[in-house]
Amino acid sequence: MTHRISIIAIGCAIAISAGGCASFGPKPWEKDLMARKEMQIDPHPMLTAADNHIFFSKEASSGGRGFAGGGCGCN
Amino acid sequence: MQLKPMTGKRTGHFRESLAAFSATLLAATLATHGAEAQDSSSSNENNNFGPGTAYTQIDGALLVYKEAGGRVQAIEPALDTQIHSADGYVLNVELIADAVSGATPNGAVPSDLSQTFTTPVRVTANSATGAGGEGEGEGGGTGAGTGTGGTTTVTGASGGSTVVSSGGTASRQYTVAPNTLPVDKGFRDRRYAANVNWSQPLGDLTLVGFGAGFSREHDYRSITANVRAAQNFDSNNTTVSLSLNMELDSSFPFGGIPTPLTAMDGAWKTPKERSKTQTGFVIGLTQVMTRRWLTEIDYAFNMQHGYENDPYRIISVVAPSTGEPTSYLYENRPNNRQTQSLFWDNKIDLDPTVTDVSFRFFTDNWGIKSETVAVSERLNVGSSFYVEPDVRWYHQTAASFYRYYLVAGQPLPAYVSSDTRLGAFTSLTYGTKVGFYLSDRTELYLRVAYYQQTGNGHPAGTFGQLRNQDLFAGTKAFFAFVGYTWDFH
Repeated sequence: MTHRISIIAIGCAIAISAGGCASFGPKPWEKDLMARKEMQIDPHPMLTAADNHIFFSKEASSGGRGFAGGGCGCN
Repeated sequence: MQLKPMTGKRTGHFRESLAAFSATLLAATLATHGAEAQDSSSSNENNNFGPGTAYTQIDGALLVYKEAGGRVQAIEPALDTQIHSADGYVLNVELIADAVSGATPNGAVPSDLSQTFTTPVRVTANSATGAGGEGEGEGGGTGAGTGTGGTTTVTGASGGSTVVSSGGTASRQYTVAPNTLPVDKGFRDRRYAANVNWSQPLGDLTLVGFGAGFSREHDYRSITANVRAAQNFDSNNTTVSLSLNMELDSSFPFGGIPTPLTAMDGAWKTPKERSKTQTGFVIGLTQVMTRRWLTEIDYAFNMQHGYENDPYRIISVVAPSTGEPTSYLYENRPNNRQTQSLFWDNKIDLDPTVTDVSFRFFTDNWGIKSETVAVSERLNVGSSFYVEPDVRWYHQTAASFYRYYLVAGQPLPAYVSSDTRLGAFTSLTYGTKVGFYLSDRTELYLRVAYYQQTGNGHPAGTFGQLRNQDLFAGTKAFFAFVGYTWDFH
């Protein structure tokens, strides 16, 4: 079952990325909300980077949206 | 940032300089905003910023970070400039400085007896220097050495440590009181970082870009480079992206690189420097699902090879029955690490609120698995003010070579570390952001947050005096971030 879900999820992701779902998502004239700053995927990248640097310094995990790097964070 | 003794005077001076710089930065941007706000009252003002428009965005920010129990504190100003051309070319330059100081756990377990730890120190004609990185005589605990032969304890060294001279060689010692988590109180560091990124449309590709970064601390240097590309599909509802990243990290700790699993002492070690390389990629898919729902999925893979140890970190070797420490060994970690993460973020507009829910699953070949869930809820109050509380839950399992301590007489493992960050724990972060749109071009925002780790301080199988100790050295921290964003043509 888990495998089946994984295959479906991967298949859907490929289909979306290949443009297979051509009518997926809103029409251009329906993007009024998406144009607002608060709907940007990361409206404050400096704040996100500062948070990530703290978490990277105190936890064993990194990664996610971007690539963690640029400093030891050993304290 | 790593551990080394501090000179309170110089660190304080640097912190004051950073604070002054940060205040100047924010004051300058606010003053500029004042002038700009007056300009914007004219009817000809162009407040259109975004794709197809040439404009510049400047972000000034300041992070203040403070851990409970007098541990690490940091102040970090940053300045980011983005220059956008009308045809989609973007140049981004980011500058960061920070000053870190305080006390950090050295990796040893607490004991019902006082414990003394010995580290290298540099002795010049009549002073001792405990920090390297910027040349002889920079930083460090200082105190006049007057003994000839025998042992002379020198008082006046900073961070609660003393310099001990014996037979012409010197070392720094600090003593931790009974039933207290061993921390080295005397460290400080400064970090300077710069990142430059360029992106543009190229042929059929929506975006290609490359960037480089440089970060320098007293005892650590990091050089990064990246190349990335993105393509929009389906009326810009779908974006697929790929980023390749490379990093070279060099560690040159004060006192040299200790031989792993040897006893902690005050001798200078060789080599002076070790490095590691990192290569990785991130594949991303961003999809506008509906008019109100935006989702993003990222898969990241990273491969590290080289020196992974924390050169200052030790682990206690305890007596088998009493649990009393008998010696302290430098840690050792595997010299390669592969990490993978899957990140899923969702933004949902529920006017007047915007919900952000993200999940991250992480695993590596050290045996660490982690899950992260973060939720924030932004509430717009009128058109120029918002409040955004957030909570983040994080849990990780321990690395396969994580140990609280080693037991004397038992075989040494090939790899071992007592670094709490490699142990099992859960962390919770509570925060709130407030933002003000001072005009169509400017935003002032502030976020405060509290971070707390909880873990098992009384693991099964402990014995002797260890049963009475809290062996979890987790972190509690408060941090505040203030930022100011200004767009102009």
